[in-house]
Amino acid sequence: MDEITVQSTGQGQVQVYFTTTSPDIELPEEKRQLRVPTSVRRYGLSQILNSESMLDTSAPIPFDFLINGTFLRTTLDEYLIAQGLSAETTLTLQYVRSLIPPLYEASFEHDDWVSCVDVLSASSIAGTWNGNEVSAGQERVLSGSYDGLLRIWNKSGQTIATSTSASGGGHTSSIKSAKFVSPTQIASSGLDRTIRVWKYAEAADGFSGELRPSLELYGHKGSIDSIDVHGPSHRVLSASSDGTVGLWTTQKSLAPAASSSLIMSAPIAKRRKLTTQTSTPQRGPLSLISSHTAPVTAAIFNPLDSTVAYSASQDHTIRTIDLTTSAVVDTRTTSHPLLSLTALPGISTQLLAAGTSARHITLLDPRISALSTQILTLRGHTNKIVSLSPDPESNYGLVSGSHDGTCRVWDLRSTRQGTKDEGGGLVGEAVYVVERETEKGGSRRPVAGEGIKVFGVAWDKEVGIVSGGEDKRVQINMGRGVTRADSS
Amino acid sequence: MAPATLDRKRKAVTRDALELSDVDSEAEFGDGLLEGILSQDEDSEEDTGDEEDSEGEEIDDIEELEALDSDEIPSENGDPETKQPNGDLTKGNGSSLVSKSLTIRHQLLDEEDDTPNYTVVEDANGGERYVYDEIDPVYDSDDSDAIIPTNTIGDIPLSFYDAYPHIGYDINGKRIMRPAKGEALDALLDSIDIPKGWTGLTDPATGKPLNLSQEELEILRRIQTNEVPEEGYDPYPATVEYFTGIEETMPLSAAPEPKRRFLPSKHEAKRVMKIVRAIREGRILPYKPPQEREEEEEEEKHYDIWQDEQPRPDHIMNIPAPKMPPPGYDLSYNPPPEYLPTKAEKQAWESVDPEDREKEYLPTAYDSLRKVPAYDKIINERFERSLDLYLAPRVRKNRLNIDPASLLPNLPRPEELKPFPTVCSTLFRGHEGRVRSLAIDPSGSWLASGGDDGTVRVWELLTGRQIWSAKIGDEEAVNTVRWRPGRDAVILSAAAGDDVYLLVPPIVDNETDVASREILDKGFGHATNAVQELTANGARKEPVAKWTRPGSRLEDEGVLIKITLRTTVKVITWHRRGDFFATVAPTAQKSAVAIHTLSKHLTQIPFRRLPGIAQTVQFHPSRPLFFVATQRTIRSYDLQKQLLVKIIQPGARWISSFDIHPGGDNLIVGSYDRRLLWHDLDLSTRPYKTMRFHSKAIRAVKYHKGGFPLFADASDDGSLQIFHGKVVSDLMENATIVPVKVLKGHKVKNALGVMDIDWHPREPWCVVLDPAVSIGSVSNGAPLTIAPFSVPNGFLRSEPGYPLQVDAVFTHGFDFIRQDPSGKHLRLDVSSVLKDKSGATITFKYTGVVAFTPEIGAVLGGAPDAKTTEFGQVATHVTFETGSDELRAMGEKIYVGTGRFVVEAGKPTVVEYKISEVVA
Repeated sequence: MDEITVQSTGQGQVQVYFTTTSPDIELPEEKRQLRVPTSVRRYGLSQILNSESMLDTSAPIPFDFLINGTFLRTTLDEYLIAQGLSAETTLTLQYVRSLIPPLYEASFEHDDWVSCVDVLSASSIAGTWNGNEVSAGQERVLSGSYDGLLRIWNKSGQTIATSTSASGGGHTSSIKSAKFVSPTQIASSGLDRTIRVWKYAEAADGFSGELRPSLELYGHKGSIDSIDVHGPSHRVLSASSDGTVGLWTTQKSLAPAASSSLIMSAPIAKRRKLTTQTSTPQRGPLSLISSHTAPVTAAIFNPLDSTVAYSASQDHTIRTIDLTTSAVVDTRTTSHPLLSLTALPGISTQLLAAGTSARHITLLDPRISALSTQILTLRGHTNKIVSLSPDPESNYGLVSGSHDGTCRVWDLRSTRQGTKDEGGGLVGEAVYVVERETEKGGSRRPVAGEGIKVFGVAWDKEVGIVSGGEDKRVQINMGRGVTRADSS
Repeated sequence: MAPATLDRKRKAVTRDALELSDVDSEAEFGDGLLEGILSQDEDSEEDTGDEEDSEGEEIDDIEELEALDSDEIPSENGDPETKQPNGDLTKGNGSSLVSKSLTIRHQLLDEEDDTPNYTVVEDANGGERYVYDEIDPVYDSDDSDAIIPTNTIGDIPLSFYDAYPHIGYDINGKRIMRPAKGEALDALLDSIDIPKGWTGLTDPATGKPLNLSQEELEILRRIQTNEVPEEGYDPYPATVEYFTGIEETMPLSAAPEPKRRFLPSKHEAKRVMKIVRAIREGRILPYKPPQEREEEEEEEKHYDIWQDEQPRPDHIMNIPAPKMPPPGYDLSYNPPPEYLPTKAEKQAWESVDPEDREKEYLPTAYDSLRKVPAYDKIINERFERSLDLYLAPRVRKNRLNIDPASLLPNLPRPEELKPFPTVCSTLFRGHEGRVRSLAIDPSGSWLASGGDDGTVRVWELLTGRQIWSAKIGDEEAVNTVRWRPGRDAVILSAAAGDDVYLLVPPIVDNETDVASREILDKGFGHATNAVQELTANGARKEPVAKWTRPGSRLEDEGVLIKITLRTTVKVITWHRRGDFFATVAPTAQKSAVAIHTLSKHLTQIPFRRLPGIAQTVQFHPSRPLFFVATQRTIRSYDLQKQLLVKIIQPGARWISSFDIHPGGDNLIVGSYDRRLLWHDLDLSTRPYKTMRFHSKAIRAVKYHKGGFPLFADASDDGSLQIFHGKVVSDLMENATIVPVKVLKGHKVKNALGVMDIDWHPREPWCVVLDPAVSIGSVSNGAPLTIAPFSVPNGFLRSEPGYPLQVDAVFTHGFDFIRQDPSGKHLRLDVSSVLKDKSGATITFKYTGVVAFTPEIGAVLGGAPDAKTTEFGQVATHVTFETGSDELRAMGEKIYVGTGRFVVEAGKPTVVEYKISEVVA
């Protein structure tokens, strides 16, 4: 300890106290207190921590330092001056593994706007259910497009499979949401008010595959904007703009029959000449829960308990639904229309992040006992937030996709007290902004994110941050260690 | 002689002096006329004196003259000093007769004092004649100013006697002969050289010309200059110092100065000693000091009405003596703690102005009396007092001290009125050419639009994705699109040209689709079964509109019904129940407004005659009322009773659009003359509020129908303004209208800005129309920004040699361009403000006409082949107004201008004017 302080005599020094929340890199009690020169920056502090006398790591781990909830981006001296602190105070530095910027990796081009993306990998949800094995290098990216087609890509940007068109039993209109149920099953939904379950078979070489429709699910009267799947129970949850949440099963035998009036009837069928040659079985919903008064924009399973679902709607509410009884258990009202929803499993097991049309992300605790509805607000987007995905590796990370043409990476630990104009409360700001690669050269973003809107974003441990949008591209950015560096 | 007469005159007042005058007159009786006149003179002199005394200054000059006249007339024949003009007196026997009789009277009067006041004389016939005494006008006799009539003809013109040698009769009945008038020649000569003293008057008594002598004139002058009339009277004679002061070189007496002049007077010493003694003995008191005397004089007497106040029972007439309240605890130097003010009270006391404070002091606690500080306001109070004495006023005049901010209406901050649209969040791009109309469907998911390309498009509202499109107008533009209200079916109506189309876009599920088609097709049976109306001559009456199928091509696209009217339909409005809709075709005379019944496929024309060109119509949101807007008025009709309910007069020159508040009691009207008007239907037919915030015409106004107290207007200046307009159910309270946001960013093309606007049915999102290719934006949630209107850099410069040198730049201004109905001319109306180099501000206005030639059309339309135009196609009448002294002449002269459009590649189009003064 003394050897380190000796290195920089003559400089101003400040007492610091290192803490961390990661037990594997915790310092022994007696080493936590230290006097460091005030001129050091993040890098210097990281060096100090990595030195032999401190952590004695085999390979240096880059660290970031949080003081009072904000990342240290200046020298300690400048920080002290900015905060009006004296050099005699003891600074509590929380060190976390340093964030790595989500660097651009690849783009996959489409014919039309990309509405949704999903990833299948060894660590993705679909890849871990039921002991499904996805070997490394076999990661797949699923994209749904406004042209009504699903595409499956490998990591190098080759289309492995494309869904059949409307005549072949595919979607008759734009796809709005698609998810892997298992490595061999995919569910998708769209403006044609149906959910389609696909069987995905891949050739042995892994460079070609086939998507065959296996089930059509009818029941919604409005476009289905979002679906969520739960592989082990074969359940699909859907959110429709007719204000209902639907619960479906992908198992043909268990699904009830579909209402005949909703299946393509004479006038439209005649007009469109869409009598499909392939007779895909048509089924109805297990239940339709119509509790919302406005279009439901997102419905998700509780990641820990598949009998509980959450739905977000434009009527400003998030409702907790008990799926066994199809009853709404709890309603949380926010102040803005909600357009997207995701669950953050890491923090206290139950934290929901909802993207609003008012350009911010609201974090809520959906437990009935929770007193305050709004825990944290993440501000920074300039347009509607339509897609959210949690960091697969960190409990505190989150990525959001917005119509302003950016994806933003948030770290929930970096917060500040909101100003009065923002309505008070805790406010978080984005750690990284992922721009669309197509517009990156432009001097300024187009008004209302025209042409570069992001419609869907997914974050996978293996693949990274995958996003699709109006620029007709699926863009992949490096996602590893963005909010939590690899500890190895 | 003069002093003697003076004496007599004075004595004449007394009785005793009569003897003297009597003696005189007696002695000189027979001498002649003159003596008689003297006695008379005495009287007359008394008269004049009396007159002067009594009337003095009260009479003005003219009256004075008359009085003089009247006095002169009797004295005329006797005044010794005015004998000259009476030179012919002796000739007039009439006058002398009078004098004679007068002398007779005197004689008789003097003879007997106690005899009756008449004498008996012998008349001409030898009979008795009673001659009465003249009444002696004593000093205070009041007829002194009465004219003694010598001519008794009365108040008749003298011309009556023209034919006679006399002019009347005297009191004794004797003829008064006509005075010897000068010959005609003399009169002429007299009139030619006006002699001094000529008055131009004829003495009415004598008939002679009335002239004033030099003396008389002099007297008049002196009277006029307020001097003593008497000639030679010196009011301030110099003192003649006889035997004093001046030591004469040649004294009258050679005697030496008497000794007494040098010795102190023993007598005086004696008297002085007497006074001294008296003072010493205290018999004479010295003067009181003058100060004391003054005080004594000035001291007012005050009465203490309560000095012996007795306690009396309470009565209304009894005012008890006021009592000073005894000092309370709070005046103590150490009051009990409950008397001490709290911090808030202290603050409140300090914040109040000293004049308004209830108490002048704040109770303060000190441990001991010796810690009480000196009275801190002593200097202040002294100063105030001095000021009071110095500036004298008893009242402190408070300057009107109004904070200008307090005069502004007390509006809530826009931040408090959130949510309202603030940012553009989606652009809907895809239309070719201008987009004319848009509408959000009742569920809030879809946006329909129609434009010049003849297509109707349906968009996903959130993402801006075009979902569906149908081309309904081949050449015609789609003028309006509206959704049918109600969630049971999804039907879109669109008007292109003369046709109204009803569409079912394939965006709905099967059930709704079937339901919608059923609603549309239900009426076909009605239409065929209906009895067709017959005209008077038995022929089949041509139906107002034809409801048909549009043909298989369109039917496949979802266009199910086509209603053909006779003229271009511009507006569609649906009734809230979705069975009726009204269309407006402004160019049609009689059938401008048509109401269509969807369930019966029936079209009716409710108005046979309209009081103007119909602009737009609306159904009342809850009552069976129908509003029709013509260019200047909005009329509301009761559809059940079929009568006119109300005529609303917004006062706008040309209404562009209006909307009814969902509550049904308020109305907003937008007009092409830039006004946005809020009407309270219960209040008045006149607008409750007029807002002129736009620099160009307002195209559309819309209320939010989903519960937010918002409304918005869209203008040709490319901006739209969002207002917070809260309507309270309380009748006594007026609606609060707060402008909350100006949304800009729309490009203005061909002088067309934002064309249409619609609100999301639930959320504070609005969609607006840009005439350019892209349509609209959904906007929502940030603080108010209002940017001032700015103008690109323009300048005004004088030609060299023009006397008024101006070198000014535009600070701001706006231009109105209006097209003539013929389309051949454009009317300009420009108003702008310039800032001269000298610092003067110049208002620069012009009105003008532009010949709308193809070249100019190309320039204004922004065509790529536009070229610089020639001078002469733009003619303007220019006016300047300025407060600068040097340039003021500009405001008085008449200027005309001719202009051209200068187009240079890569630069904005410039308008250049040559302005010339009209000289002749």
